[in-house]
Amino acid sequence: MAIYAVLGVAWIAFSDRAVRLLVSDPDLRTTVQTAKGSAFVLVTAAILFFLVRRSERGLRALGAEVRATVDSMGDAVLIVDATPRVVEANRAALQLLGAASKEEALGPLAEWGRRWQFRSADGEPIPLERYATVRALAGETNVRYDAILRRSDGQDVFISVSAAPVERPRGRPLAVAVLRDVSPARRLDEAREEFLATAAHEFKTPLAVIKAYAQLMAKREPAEGQALAVIQRQVDRLSRLVQHLLDTSRLRLDSGEVTHERFDLAALAGEVIERMRSIAPRHELRLASSGPATVLADRDRIARVIASLVENGVRFSPAGGAVETRIEIGRGEATLSVRDGGLGIPQERQARVFERYYRAHAGTPEDPGGLGLGLDVSREIVQRHGGRIWFESSPGEGSTFHFSLPLAGEKA
Amino acid sequence: MSAAGPASILIVEDDPDLLTLMDMILTESGWRVRTAPEGRAALALAADEVPGLVLLDMRMPGMNGWDFAREFRARHGRACPIVVVTAAENARRRAEEIGADAWLAKPFDLDEVLSMVARFLGPAGGERPDADR
Repeated sequence: MAIYAVLGVAWIAFSDRAVRLLVSDPDLRTTVQTAKGSAFVLVTAAILFFLVRRSERGLRALGAEVRATVDSMGDAVLIVDATPRVVEANRAALQLLGAASKEEALGPLAEWGRRWQFRSADGEPIPLERYATVRALAGETNVRYDAILRRSDGQDVFISVSAAPVERPRGRPLAVAVLRDVSPARRLDEAREEFLATAAHEFKTPLAVIKAYAQLMAKREPAEGQALAVIQRQVDRLSRLVQHLLDTSRLRLDSGEVTHERFDLAALAGEVIERMRSIAPRHELRLASSGPATVLADRDRIARVIASLVENGVRFSPAGGAVETRIEIGRGEATLSVRDGGLGIPQERQARVFERYYRAHAGTPEDPGGLGLGLDVSREIVQRHGGRIWFESSPGEGSTFHFSLPLAGEKA
Repeated sequence: MSAAGPASILIVEDDPDLLTLMDMILTESGWRVRTAPEGRAALALAADEVPGLVLLDMRMPGMNGWDFAREFRARHGRACPIVVVTAAENARRRAEEIGADAWLAKPFDLDEVLSMVARFLGPAGGERPDADR
């Protein structure tokens, strides 16, 4: 290229002068100059032709390389245009779908969704505008969710879908989707959660037997009342731990199992606190509310959240003292707060308190035990209701945990 | 279903200790109690005499609570209330699944059992009131 440029400039600058010096006959000079001009044009055209052909061949080679790379990927790749239509599918995509030919895996996206029974992870149909690729075409850069599709052999596959717009300065807009088969991981997950649920269930029956017999003895042997009360209290504690295990596993297993009913959060808090007085003989459990706070929620589960927060307040204030539950209404929300004057949470551990299995006081002399599930479960429950959960804490002064739920509308 | 004396309670529960205890406290309270360790045996007892109330465990070897409830309702209709007694995580849902009238979550308080029975059969040991529900 550079040589061509130098020669070209030299040719333009010196060729006329050279012709004048070498050819004296004016007629012949004109002929020579015409021939020179034609030769220049021809040579230039030839050079341009070869340059274009070389880059074309390079591009073709690159296209084949990219295609071979995409085809060799273990994850299924689909390319969708703005129609929206599936215009390309790699080999892994055909395998994932069980498609006999590429044509079967291509076509208008809506039809594609029907053909492969594309559904969300809980089995609901996904409207076309929520498809990952359609959202990517609309400009969302990192769309990701779990979904189900049915292979041509009739088997359902759990897939993780992620999509992004194909960024290129010119040409029609495209989106690329990567579909990953997560069925094995999902099955393992389900088996583990099912095991956990069964194990917890198996614990509850013996607990029920122990509790019932302790109550029977307490009725018949009033003299042993105190000892039997301890047995009952400990059984209740064990039951709550088992319930937490059940909640953590169940909540992840079946997302749909949240019932909604109208109830007064303040009244529920009152009931929960009444039940908990027996486990906190050295604490003063207080309740303050400015009136009814009607919410539409899963009553049993919200009761567990309240019990969890109050129990934490008790457990993390080993010296005793007040644990105050307060219900307030404002900005369309009911907020329940539980304040204790106990240990508080060290600053550096505060970020992790809602993590599953995390125990902020583990390994410290103040460690009161527990499974590290209460707050994880509580957060899961509250978030499923469209609510928020948060806290403030200072070491040595205590913690206040809050959660809020949307207030129920006027209609019954 | 017009046996003489107090209404009978049918307890279907596979844990023998829990079964014995529920039998004991309800009998002591004046109820006539019959027990079965699983659904099929319970259906046989119900065929002899339709109980006034069924206390039903869900997970049992042999015939489970779901199948028992379906069969029991098919044979005897909805006149006899069923109370689900379950260790399942969502007792209410289990109760709804089989169209039960109420539920008790394990572990329960003995007083809860007694008041549940009283709710359906009236004061302990008495005649079953002809209440329309």
